[in-house]
Amino acid sequence: MTSDSASSRKALSKIASNRLQKELVEWQVNPPAGFKHIPTDNLKRWVIEVNGAPGTLYAGEMYQLQVDFPEHYPMEAPQVIFVPPAPLHPHIYSNGHICLDILYDSWSPAMTVSSICISILSMLSSSPAKQRPADNDRYVKNCKNGRSPKETRWWFHDDKV
Amino acid sequence: MAEEEVVAEVEAAQAVYGDDCLVIDTYPPHLHVHLKPRTAEVSSEQFVEATIGMQAGPKYPEEPPVIRIIDSKGLDERRQKHLMESICSKAFELASCLMLVALCEEAVEKLSSMNHPEGDCPLCLFPLLDEDAGNNSLPFMKLMSCFHCFHCDCIIRWWNWIQMQSENESSSSSSSTVRSMPDQQGIRKMMEGSMGKCPVCRKIFLAKDIEHVLDLVGTSGNLDCAGTEIDGGFLQSEAETIRKQKIDAILKIQQENNGLIEPKKNEVLLPGMFLPQPVGLPSTESEGVSSESQSKDPAAKSDTNPESSSNRRRSRKPNNYHRKQRTQNTSKQARQWIRKDNVSDN
Repeated sequence: MTSDSASSRKALSKIASNRLQKELVEWQVNPPAGFKHIPTDNLKRWVIEVNGAPGTLYAGEMYQLQVDFPEHYPMEAPQVIFVPPAPLHPHIYSNGHICLDILYDSWSPAMTVSSICISILSMLSSSPAKQRPADNDRYVKNCKNGRSPKETRWWFHDDKV
Repeated sequence: MAEEEVVAEVEAAQAVYGDDCLVIDTYPPHLHVHLKPRTAEVSSEQFVEATIGMQAGPKYPEEPPVIRIIDSKGLDERRQKHLMESICSKAFELASCLMLVALCEEAVEKLSSMNHPEGDCPLCLFPLLDEDAGNNSLPFMKLMSCFHCFHCDCIIRWWNWIQMQSENESSSSSSSTVRSMPDQQGIRKMMEGSMGKCPVCRKIFLAKDIEHVLDLVGTSGNLDCAGTEIDGGFLQSEAETIRKQKIDAILKIQQENNGLIEPKKNEVLLPGMFLPQPVGLPSTESEGVSSESQSKDPAAKSDTNPESSSNRRRSRKPNNYHRKQRTQNTSKQARQWIRKDNVSDN
């Protein structure tokens, strides 16, 4: 299901692994509200439970995020997708890919898994309608061979949702 | 107290702080003073700064002036509060004396004792100042434009990574379809050549900010962006030994000049402090200066040319503006030290 690109097969660099261990410890001390890290023995792939924020369209719903870290994290952005079934949202494709600039062009190494989670929850919470992106079918068909969303050239046209 | 005395005090403040003192009203006095730590004669050794507003009423000095922090860099809320409290308690202490300069000096004193960054490196998430590590704390640096601090190794690794990415992009862009117009891309690439964006606040900084760190840390191979482990030998390396020796020398000079920050002596001076180079570093402290240097893009570009890396140090002579500013700073600094002698005698 995840990307077959070379970067994601490689082991984490020492720096990436130190940083992730640090993030994990801080997450355990101070997890972002609405998220739960599901413990695994794989530092390279985190699975995180997302609870829709109360008072939003997704209240009471539960989804799973899968975060895969590249060899050179945090220089390179992690790959973040929803494990299908993904929430119905104008920027979330049915294969779980998320159109969110900070995951791609606007990634900064000063961001953390925790700050990504907060951005995703904020994106969900501000959704005006439960619907798929207009080009969902075309996009999902193009991604058939397990292509990573990081290989997509995204257009970020909507800063309202 | 007579009006002339108060007016004379404002003149004294202007004499002490020069261009850093903005007089809004002479009587009753209303001043904005831009203050830096005492150790900040070299801008790369400065991690905090603040502009303090002091507005006195007609009953000054019987009534103390209203004090507020107009602007600050490198100070979080807690440290801003601490600064305010110490200025206000000084004002209370000096009640019904002429106090404007004394209050500024109190602020300078506090800024000097807080002249170290707080918290973790945003890139590796480990503390910038590791109390346990003592002298072995990793060197760190700050970006001149926003005062955000990073471990030198971390920021250099990121910088090299960015450079490598943009090289890869430019070599592969011919084959792939590009959505932006070619001329726009050209401009973007040119900008990227001499500037970067702070990973924390995305404020633009000049490549020069980073390049001087490259010089000081030494362009050793263990900083390559591939993320190879930094071997333990780094701290014992020649460059590091020289750096420590120079810092010891500075420490001594500071002690002799009574310019040393008294509390947390070691902590403040040891980690990541960059040494004053003979030619001085280009300073981009104020908005005005940085925009001015940005407009001199061609010059900045030649600085970043990798082929000239061997004489990079020489090629970075400050331009006239900077040189002027530095001389002002030095003379002002000397005066502040004299003032401090007086204060400590009291």
